[in-house]
Amino acid sequence: MKKTLTLVLALVMMLSLALPAFADEGWVELRVEAYDRTIAGFNLEDCWQLRYAQEHFGDPNKIKLVFVPVPRWTEGEVLTTQLGGGTAPDLCMTYNGDLINQYIEFDGLYQLDALLEEYGPNLKAFLGDDLLKFGQQDRDGDGTKEQWFLSARRLSVANVGNFIRADWLKALNMEKPTDIESFTAYLKAAKEAGLGGTRTIPMHFDLYESNPLYNVVRFADAFIDFSQVTEEDWFAYSGLHEMLPGSKEAYRWFNQLYHEGLLYENFDINDDTATDSALLNGYFGFFSMQPDQPWRTDKNYQKEMETAVEGAEWVSVNCFKNESLGKYLHDEYAANGLSIIIPKNGGATTEEKAIAAIKYMDWMAQPENMFAMQNGVEGINYLEVTADGIPTKVQSADAVPDENKMHAGDICFISNGLYYGSPEKNAAAIALGFDEKYQANIVESYVHAGTDAWTQTSFSIPIQAETDYGAMIKSKQGEFLSKVVTCDPTEFDAIYDAAIQDILNTGASELIEEQRAAYQAGEFRGTFPGAK
Amino acid sequence: MTTTRLRRPGTNLGRSILRDWRLYVMLILPLAFYIIFCYKPMLGVGIAFTRYNPVGGMWKSKWIGLDNFKFVMKMPDFPIALGNTLLLNFMGLIAGFPIPIILAIMLNEIRSTRVKKVSQTLLYLPHFLSWVIIGGMVLQIFAPTTGVVNATLLKWGWIDKNIPFLTEGWPWRITYTVVGVWQSMGWGTILYLSAITGINMELFEAAKIDGANKLQQIWHVTLPGIRSTIVVLLILNVGQMMNISFDRPYIMGNTRVQNYCDVLSTFVYRAGITNAQFARATAIGLFQSVVGLIMVSSANFVTKRLGEDGIW
Repeated sequence: MKKTLTLVLALVMMLSLALPAFADEGWVELRVEAYDRTIAGFNLEDCWQLRYAQEHFGDPNKIKLVFVPVPRWTEGEVLTTQLGGGTAPDLCMTYNGDLINQYIEFDGLYQLDALLEEYGPNLKAFLGDDLLKFGQQDRDGDGTKEQWFLSARRLSVANVGNFIRADWLKALNMEKPTDIESFTAYLKAAKEAGLGGTRTIPMHFDLYESNPLYNVVRFADAFIDFSQVTEEDWFAYSGLHEMLPGSKEAYRWFNQLYHEGLLYENFDINDDTATDSALLNGYFGFFSMQPDQPWRTDKNYQKEMETAVEGAEWVSVNCFKNESLGKYLHDEYAANGLSIIIPKNGGATTEEKAIAAIKYMDWMAQPENMFAMQNGVEGINYLEVTADGIPTKVQSADAVPDENKMHAGDICFISNGLYYGSPEKNAAAIALGFDEKYQANIVESYVHAGTDAWTQTSFSIPIQAETDYGAMIKSKQGEFLSKVVTCDPTEFDAIYDAAIQDILNTGASELIEEQRAAYQAGEFRGTFPGAK
Repeated sequence: MTTTRLRRPGTNLGRSILRDWRLYVMLILPLAFYIIFCYKPMLGVGIAFTRYNPVGGMWKSKWIGLDNFKFVMKMPDFPIALGNTLLLNFMGLIAGFPIPIILAIMLNEIRSTRVKKVSQTLLYLPHFLSWVIIGGMVLQIFAPTTGVVNATLLKWGWIDKNIPFLTEGWPWRITYTVVGVWQSMGWGTILYLSAITGINMELFEAAKIDGANKLQQIWHVTLPGIRSTIVVLLILNVGQMMNISFDRPYIMGNTRVQNYCDVLSTFVYRAGITNAQFARATAIGLFQSVVGLIMVSSANFVTKRLGEDGIW
């Protein structure tokens, strides 16, 4: 008797566990990848944007939305493993174009032409034909290109932000530097005067492990001798600027800065927390990031530094002048943002889910929905709206209650940047999104970022050498940077040449050759700054 | 000599299962673990010989023989990573193998149970820290200029240049080894301690009566008593020479010591995982396993020749 009772109870328990699955009949679960930047108090899996989208889009369409958090800085690797293991979300996004090329080759993605036509008219209109072209490839070789992924629309293409301490310049009685020479003089003077205390670090840049030269190239490009560089070279050496004529002098300059104690000594040792605290405590005299980075509402370096050091102020500086061109080169993003895919493997295993994914993005592309998903609630996330309909007095993340915290870009991923309907409004909105007292500095930073700007290079056909050797080359570039910057100045030339040879041997020669061929075939995007 | 059979031949398996079914039920879980997590994935090594397409699966991928192996082994970083793996593991074995034995004997000699328990717990603790946390601690302690050690020594004037714990090849290798020994030595004592507990106490008493002092007791009783454990662990450790964890070298390394900290696991990560080249990653994994098998077999062969029990 007792045994039968136990059995019955166990059965009942199992059934009750299985029941909710039956209750969801007719519903589709759509798992959407969402970048996680670990913002304190912000719970991606139950955030305001998710609840809003569920209520206004999910419920009426019988679609259950689920956000799958993926760490922002390792997204490419995480997605690679998820796709390989068949556990990827139904709707994914990545900046790793190479990964996407491979999955197109694997036939691992849903072809989007018909789906977009039927379920995504608003989405198509929002992205526009030029942007859609980024995601088109001729997979079957029939001469027409099919749509395999979507590129998010990037509203602001500015990429480079170089910042200098206004309070230090004032203390040194110096003008803002306008070229490498005056910039070096500033660094030296700042070090001598010890303006950041005993731990003064005149210059710093972040070293991203996945692309070590990313932040360095913006200074090093100032040294390139464009009289010796053709447009073809520029594309052939895409991602390998350290090999272009003149670049050697850039790294020699870094080497000098390092040995004079003007560069952060531990710049290449993964020490994020130390770097961050040095930055916030005002030890740095120069750093380089995105144009709006010091003033962002989710992490305001300027505000935090002000609290530590009275009167400390970051201002944008435009001093990396390329003498051979007489221009201040800044690289800009192309108009495409991250790439959005609907994978078959593990992801949207049924066409139903692929349809739901397109419907979701189509809903997001409609102006009123996008406005809500990007701006949140009036009175909580922002306090006022201008006559043009742009929210102002945007609250910083810590001023918003946890249940209303949001991240516009990561969750409203089809638009990279806040969208208000026209380029003028979008540009005006950039500064309005920040604290009023910093707006003039932000506008200046964006003006600098757009000065003599060139669009980043890429290729419209897959580059096999990038797949084979890309990660190897990147890691060799990290080693190269460490070596040439820290080596004894007398050995610089030999070490530089050997390190370049090392990169070439690791697959860079193949990469150069293939990129040159792609250029010659006309399959390239981006601009050449040396164009007459 | 004839052995006495307790059970009649022929039916013994069925009978013993019937008699000890509870034990066999308990065996199901570990068995399932090995089948699901160790044996089933072995089928996957097949992808090492294909142009693997994760969408179609292994059977739909094109068979390309040894191309993946050739491609990976021709990369200039491969011999560097292979050499570093062997060297770091060898250093870890030399430094890390005897220490838990010494530690276990020392712990065993502690008379006060309370002191013994507390020191054991303190020694185990680092084993439970993730390498991410240890990596952070290492930076705090050993970083140039800002690290505790360098900062203090510089301040006292004992050194006028940073000790390159993390920034030069050999010092980095030593730091890596020492930190590894520190992390795992306490945990390593567990097996030895239990082996020591298994030694017959009468042997110690007899030694004492014969006039053996503490050191002589350790040398003549404790060490021989745990010899078979030491041998088995040594063979197993030698079999692990080709395997290296990913997190420890990845977290402790940096671009300045790239040529010293790049090991097979981090190499596989770059050559295979980051670009979805799963077949190439598998090829290196298979290569590691084959070499590991050869090493463990030869270590076992040698120890058997030396008159020890070995592991099979």
